[in-house]
Amino acid sequence: MTGERQGTAVAGGLILVVEDSEEDTEAIERALSRSHPEVALEFASGTEGVLARLLDPAAPRPGLVLLDLNMPGRDGHSLLADIRARGELADVTVVVFTSSTAPAEVEACYAAGADSYVYKPVNFDLFRTVLKGAVDYWQQQGGH
Amino acid sequence: MDDRWAEDLHRLWQAADEAVDVMVLADDLYDVLLRLPGVRVVVGTRWDGASRGRYLRALTAGDAAPTLELLAHGPYDGTPRRPAASAEVREHAVAELRGSAWPEAGALGAAGVSQALTCTFRLGDGEWSALTLGTGDFPERKLLEARLRQVSEIVAACGRRIAERGLAERLRAADALLAEASLQMDASLDVEETVQRVARIAVPAVAVGCLVHLYRDRELQCVAAVHVAARSQRGTAELGRSDPWLARLIARAVRSPQGLRLNAGELGGGPFSAAGDAGEVGDVGDVGAVTVDALRARGRVLGTITFLYGRPEPRMPEALFLGDLAKRAALALDNAMLYEQRRQHVLSLQRHLLPAELPHVQGLDLGASYEVGDPMLDVGGDFYDVVPRDGGAALVIGDVCGRGAEAAALTGLARHTLRTLLEDGAPPGTALSRLNAALRRERTSRFVTGAIACLDPDGGEGMLLRTASAGHPPPLLLRADGAVEQVRAGGLLLGVVDEPRYTVAEDRLRPGDTAVFFTDGLTESRARDGSFFEGLLPGRLAGLRGLGAARVAEELAHQAVDFRASGADDIALLVARVRGADEGADRGAAEGTDGSGGGGEGCG
Repeated sequence: MTGERQGTAVAGGLILVVEDSEEDTEAIERALSRSHPEVALEFASGTEGVLARLLDPAAPRPGLVLLDLNMPGRDGHSLLADIRARGELADVTVVVFTSSTAPAEVEACYAAGADSYVYKPVNFDLFRTVLKGAVDYWQQQGGH
Repeated sequence: MDDRWAEDLHRLWQAADEAVDVMVLADDLYDVLLRLPGVRVVVGTRWDGASRGRYLRALTAGDAAPTLELLAHGPYDGTPRRPAASAEVREHAVAELRGSAWPEAGALGAAGVSQALTCTFRLGDGEWSALTLGTGDFPERKLLEARLRQVSEIVAACGRRIAERGLAERLRAADALLAEASLQMDASLDVEETVQRVARIAVPAVAVGCLVHLYRDRELQCVAAVHVAARSQRGTAELGRSDPWLARLIARAVRSPQGLRLNAGELGGGPFSAAGDAGEVGDVGDVGAVTVDALRARGRVLGTITFLYGRPEPRMPEALFLGDLAKRAALALDNAMLYEQRRQHVLSLQRHLLPAELPHVQGLDLGASYEVGDPMLDVGGDFYDVVPRDGGAALVIGDVCGRGAEAAALTGLARHTLRTLLEDGAPPGTALSRLNAALRRERTSRFVTGAIACLDPDGGEGMLLRTASAGHPPPLLLRADGAVEQVRAGGLLLGVVDEPRYTVAEDRLRPGDTAVFFTDGLTESRARDGSFFEGLLPGRLAGLRGLGAARVAEELAHQAVDFRASGADDIALLVARVRGADEGADRGAAEGTDGSGGGGEGCG
């Protein structure tokens, strides 16, 4: 299930991070709280419950979902397909954030409806730069 | 200065020293300002380097929590208010604050204040901020102005310190990008895949889009197009493939010793010239700047790498960084290209050391296979041949120790010496002895193993197999009933002593029996647990009973390759199966199951 780690509630400025790795979750929180302090973050440690969370009319709708691909149980690909199968979530930007650069993986994610496919680097400074670039881009597009 | 104010400032300075973002100071800061005489509301706004609003934060006296509003999607343009180098304080009537430069107007109006005192100041890295105090009047204007300025200076100093650290972080990120790009390039030796991987990691770390063009048949062709947005992926690819303006630009970059840098004002005539207009090339999103660097390695230009930067604040990296990235990418690409070229050379040379096709021999179904262990390791020394002789054939298999040009030369010598001797009718043992003498004359330092088997009709339905071996793995016989036997032939390696003796083993093959000759790459294929394929070979061979010679050769080679976890030795196999009378002894009937056909149907 999802859990909120940071409480700055901003309408329209919520990012839902779906990531099973504790280390990566912490790195994403550290990076985004510095580059985009105005954006609220919500975290889910797996894909389970995420679709229901997104469809919950009582909960604020994230403008952007940052999605790890390789997770135990139902993986990120399945969740991506689930999200894109729901027309009411069409305005939710899905950014796949993963450690693979294999062209076939990129193709598969685009075909499944990902809005962005972003490589997750090992180095934290680069990690932060990449995340900032992706969130800046979608903020400027008005996509979230 | 009263004590409380001094304490407040001290606390704010301390917090500013540790803050990772100026927003961390907000709670304390707003409380402090709201306690100033006459202040009924505090409104802060933050603006990016292009003076577009990021967010607004407001706290009204009596309210428990501040309100936060994102300005990123609004029409807010703070350009008229952008501060000069030092902080500026101005007084305004709230009623006069209108337009896209003043998102504060709403919060001030809602708080019912008529006057606003605003301090604008730079945060560093192009960003700036405004702190506004709202009041009905200003009973102590000078005091308020001084204190607003003091507090603003703390926030500005905090912002500048964070920006300086950010610059250091960006430099480290640039180094990390180069390192990760190198790693990615090492991950694949496939040229196009390497290019696509590099382009992928550069987006959005460097820019919103990346295109790589490489020379193919003397023309620049787009081999990678990546955009941060999936919806702009196709447009970016189209841009790279067919936009004439970009084609001219990259042609210019190829001739230019330095990379090209085009800002918004220099994009005229191109697909990005009109702001917000995707132009003729489809959706590539807003592009505010473009850079192109030539990919140069070992003195030649392989192609170009182009980056597209978004609007409204295209942040181009240092030219040095882009040049370095292009240099590293070019070197990796050149390596990948050289590898591919070398692989083709090795495969081609290898093919020339083996017969182009096996001959048709009456009464025999022949097959062969050759698995190159690792093309990067150079030409291997395994060889085989079939020499037709009166009514039968001589089969040759051998292995020159080592790889490379010398091994290839020796392989050619061995194969052709044996072929000449066998064509002249030399028996197997004599042929090996003569080759041994030739190798001794050449004073070769490499060992050579080999086996020669002559197959001749035995006067009945079967054939007589006479085998001589020089240190070569013993051939196996697969009987028609599935039994597997080893040919008992053995002798010294070639090229070691002057006059070795080679004994000849005789075996009788019945119709349906199969003789299998192979090199040690097959038997020495090793699994992760340390076991060798040799132990499994008789069982695996028995499982192939009834198959044609070509299938037996291919199956055994594939099984060994699947089995092995280590070792990249070449594997050569030569297989001869005695045909039954009902298969037809004429040449026409043999064509369907010969070595080049690969079929095994109709056997047994």
